Amino acid sequence: MSWIVTSLWLIPAAPLAASLIILSLANSRRSAAAALAIIGQIAALTLSILAFLPTLQAPGYRSVHNFTWFTFGEQALRIGWVLDSLAAAMLVMIALVGLCIFVFSAGYMADDKNLTRFFAYLSFFSGAMLGVVIANSLLLLFVFWELVGLASYLLIGFWIHKPSAAAAAKKAFITTRIGDLGFFVGILWLYGGSGTLLFYDGGKGCLETAGLLGLGASATFVALLIFCGAVGKSGQFPLHIWLPDAMEGPTPVSALVHAATMVAAGVFLVARVYPLFSFGAIDGVTPSLVVVVSIGTITALMASLIALGQFDIKRILAYSTVSQLGLMMVSLGVGGVAAGMMHLIAHGFFKALLFLGAGSVIHGCHHEQDIRKMGGLRSLMPISFLTYAIGMMTLSGVPFFFSGGWTKEEILHATAHWHASHIPHYLMLAGVVLTALYMTRQMIYIFFGNRRAASENVHESPPIMTLPLIVLAICSIAFSVVLTPAWRWLHSYLTGEPAHFDIALLVQPMLFVSLALVAVGIGLGFVMYGKAGQLATGRVRPTGGQNRHRTAEMDPLERAQPALFHFLENKMWLDEIYDRTVVAWSRMAAHVSDWMDRHFWDGLVRGFAGLGQLFGIFSANFDERWINVRVDETMTGTRRLGRVMSAWHSGQIQTYLGMLAVGMLALLILYAWLA
Amino acid sequence: MSYLELLKLAAPEATVAVTALAVLAVGLIRWGETPSNRRSSAFCSAVAGLGLAAAVGAVVMLPQSATLFGGMLVITPLTSLFKIICLALAFFTVVLARTDLSSRNRGEYLALVLLATIGLMLLVGSEELLMIFIGLELTGLSLYVMTAFDKTDIRSAEAGLKYFLFGSTASAFTLFGLSLIYGMSGTTGLAVIAQKLSAQPISPLLFAGIVMTLVGFAFKIAAAPFHLWAPDAYQGAPVPSAAFIASGSKVASFVVLGKIVLVGFGPDKGSAAWHAMISGWAPVLAVLAALSILIGNLVALAQSNVRRLLAYSAVAHAGYTLLGLVAGGRDGFSATLFYTTVYAFTLVGAFGVVALVRRETGGDDLINFAGLRARSPLLAGCMSIFMLSLAGLPPLAGFFGKFYLFIAALRAGENHGLLWLVALALLGSLVSLYYYLIVLKVIFVDEPAQHETSLPRRNVGEGGDFLQRVSLSVPGPLVAHIIASLP
Repeated sequence: MSWIVTSLWLIPAAPLAASLIILSLANSRRSAAAALAIIGQIAALTLSILAFLPTLQAPGYRSVHNFTWFTFGEQALRIGWVLDSLAAAMLVMIALVGLCIFVFSAGYMADDKNLTRFFAYLSFFSGAMLGVVIANSLLLLFVFWELVGLASYLLIGFWIHKPSAAAAAKKAFITTRIGDLGFFVGILWLYGGSGTLLFYDGGKGCLETAGLLGLGASATFVALLIFCGAVGKSGQFPLHIWLPDAMEGPTPVSALVHAATMVAAGVFLVARVYPLFSFGAIDGVTPSLVVVVSIGTITALMASLIALGQFDIKRILAYSTVSQLGLMMVSLGVGGVAAGMMHLIAHGFFKALLFLGAGSVIHGCHHEQDIRKMGGLRSLMPISFLTYAIGMMTLSGVPFFFSGGWTKEEILHATAHWHASHIPHYLMLAGVVLTALYMTRQMIYIFFGNRRAASENVHESPPIMTLPLIVLAICSIAFSVVLTPAWRWLHSYLTGEPAHFDIALLVQPMLFVSLALVAVGIGLGFVMYGKAGQLATGRVRPTGGQNRHRTAEMDPLERAQPALFHFLENKMWLDEIYDRTVVAWSRMAAHVSDWMDRHFWDGLVRGFAGLGQLFGIFSANFDERWINVRVDETMTGTRRLGRVMSAWHSGQIQTYLGMLAVGMLALLILYAWLA
Repeated sequence: MSYLELLKLAAPEATVAVTALAVLAVGLIRWGETPSNRRSSAFCSAVAGLGLAAAVGAVVMLPQSATLFGGMLVITPLTSLFKIICLALAFFTVVLARTDLSSRNRGEYLALVLLATIGLMLLVGSEELLMIFIGLELTGLSLYVMTAFDKTDIRSAEAGLKYFLFGSTASAFTLFGLSLIYGMSGTTGLAVIAQKLSAQPISPLLFAGIVMTLVGFAFKIAAAPFHLWAPDAYQGAPVPSAAFIASGSKVASFVVLGKIVLVGFGPDKGSAAWHAMISGWAPVLAVLAALSILIGNLVALAQSNVRRLLAYSAVAHAGYTLLGLVAGGRDGFSATLFYTTVYAFTLVGAFGVVALVRRETGGDDLINFAGLRARSPLLAGCMSIFMLSLAGLPPLAGFFGKFYLFIAALRAGENHGLLWLVALALLGSLVSLYYYLIVLKVIFVDEPAQHETSLPRRNVGEGGDFLQRVSLSVPGPLVAHIIASLP
């Protein structure tokens, strides 16, 4: 076993240590904090690459390091870490994307007065996520999983002075906790069934044959419960509602949450425990996988539709994240684990790119986030524009040059070959069109057309912010080298097969289909929104506001289908539905409990207390009037007796010696009498 | 048996003896002018302390078990443990002596303490009547002198004289009793005596021998009605002497009394069960215990001097402790040993507080303790823990001691025959709570007399702190140790 496996813990430990050190710094040591965080991340990246190297040597490499955490009774709780292709690829991606975001943050957050706290949280977040990836025990994974949740809570609510940020942080935490509840029950069930929480343990782990057989038919339920956790964390329907609200956090946080860390955790979790999902599969179909595909499909389509109706630059990206995550879930569900993970990694790069690009735009536009107030930024922010365009095309899945295109194609390929149904396949094709459409809409609003209110005095961002953009853009493009069908290196690496180079496979029929779909999407976008870029300067009706007659400033879709647009703009009323149902019910339950507590239980307790008081008064009287008097009399008697006896001790030695003799004689008599 | 080996087995006693001589010599050295007296006495204390520590080391180095000269010197884990306890008590006495006595003739005083300690160690480590008597006398004679040591105080001289007269009379009884036993059995080894006694019928001469022997020990442990010397000695003697009489002398006496009655007179135990009394030493001890509990507790109620109060409470405690011996057996003996040890350490602590208060206020009446809480919170805290432990309140060690004693007495014999004694002891404890709380009330509630100044904090930590911890500590380890070391 390579040394790197035993010391794999160093990878999450580096950012976590950095976080602790930063927390102990004074608030004024801003540059030190940023430097420490970046150094920690560089260390994690270096170690990740070192961990990556041994996995290249042999296909299907997997190495674990397990040890006993503590023993209770007869049972020993063992945890450990695992190094395999899945973990190694995720490690490198998280560390690299994280590093870019850290560097970008140093520029983006330069004016924030709580910079040190920010970097401490950021490092903490990154460390927790790296811990999720290396865990070889569901329990250890859960621990880091919850740390990720905590970190997201801290970061989304970083601007605590904003009530909306605090609310969003709470929403994110509580919503994901709902999923985690299921996850935790699943962990308990899994432990009860298989007796171990280790994934791989030399044939005895819960993901290996013996453990799965011990679980038997309950594997389906365990898988679904664990999937609850993934639904919460990865923003799947119906628990996706926290993700768009999480945009209240600083933009680098959004990038980190949406690209590299938090949302990836759910998809990663499903991929990690995939044997549980696929256990007992017939033709690659199990009930749990059908659920995964259904949820993923609903999420993907719903989110891309909602994205069409949004005006906040970050919210659009947020919904695109939700829809891409749905896509990944679909891919995992239909058996394309490698495809899903490839898309996750590619998505990590280009979504970070898009968010950081958005951050750059927001930074340039003096923290304006409404795309209707931007416009014409193409010439003002050329680097941002170029990199954002690359990110947009990658996300839209433009084939051939962009990594997202290849991975999306893999997924479409996988869905086409699913035995259960072809509906997801067609719905995903529709999703491709929608994605291209809303991204084009966004591009036109931001970078084309006339300049509007927020475009005054716009300037390109400083190099510390554009540099990560360039790096990520290059990654987004260059990454496709290992993704093409001609040399499916990453695919083979993840599945553990040797990779072959065959240029003839480069062009596949699916390529043309997706090319056509993307073209339709982008073309439609230009047709629909080409004129919308020419909005009147600055005067924008507030979202959901009244001035509906100003058609010139209305969204083209709104003009054509007001009802539909309104439906999408308000996020399909899902928040409101939850508010009226789940939230209202729990609030009602709270009110009822409160009332019960105040009036019923409290009354009961008071009643008993009253009884006790009554008894107390009675017994106090009894004590005072009767017992005390008697006791006092006894006491006086006792003391008088003591005084009398004391008088015998006269101090005369003659008396004493006499007593000695008398005492001895008395004892002798006693002895003799008894005999 | 070579002398070298003998020296090796008697190394602890030899160490203390050499230390006593050394301290005596050091005390005689003149350190220039008069003011350096203080330095001389400090040096004496240091030498004595070191010697005691060395003796503890020597005890630890002893072999697990050995028997010399038919039981004259016996080494078992039990004797080693109690030798260490006696040495520790002597050490605290040395520490106490620093705070109380004027520095005149410190060397002589400490030499006496050490000689008494040798006597205690002989008592603990012997199972032979002659040796036991020598131990008794060595201890007794040293203690008489120690009691009368404060030549400037008339009461000290009076107490010494009373103690001496009473003690020598009691010794005479004991010696006579022992000689009768020897006459009946023809031997002085305890184990052999038991064999002989079990073979012959009970005779009036044997009665006399047993009762007279017991009277001598009843004097030593201050059981009523042979306690009359105790209040005067406790009150009049210098505080360290009183502390040592109440602690070290008592512990060793209980160890040896237990050995004599349980091993030597074992066949003539009799029974002290209610309505089923059988002639033997058990009913005699039971009567002594009952009397002690009654008289000690009742008379203590009427005392206004703290030392006198402690003396009468000591009588009561001797009564409780006898319960374990009356119960007999392994359980009873271990309970007795545990209780007397805990009691000794607690009492040394209490006397330490008394010594400090006496030095600052010039007296040890209850009035002198008034408002101690304000003057020295630490001392007040120590005293309250000592008093509550003596009263037997959980979770203090005194509670566990009483608990073990009562349980042992309840379990002994059939039909809970000793229930009457236990009930009496419980009643006595109840009464005792009153006068212990009186002390605390004076300390915590009463206003200090006008002239009092705050007590200095130094010296307080010297012994009190440790003793406090002993009283507080859950006594599990000690009782486990005692039980493990019993034969």
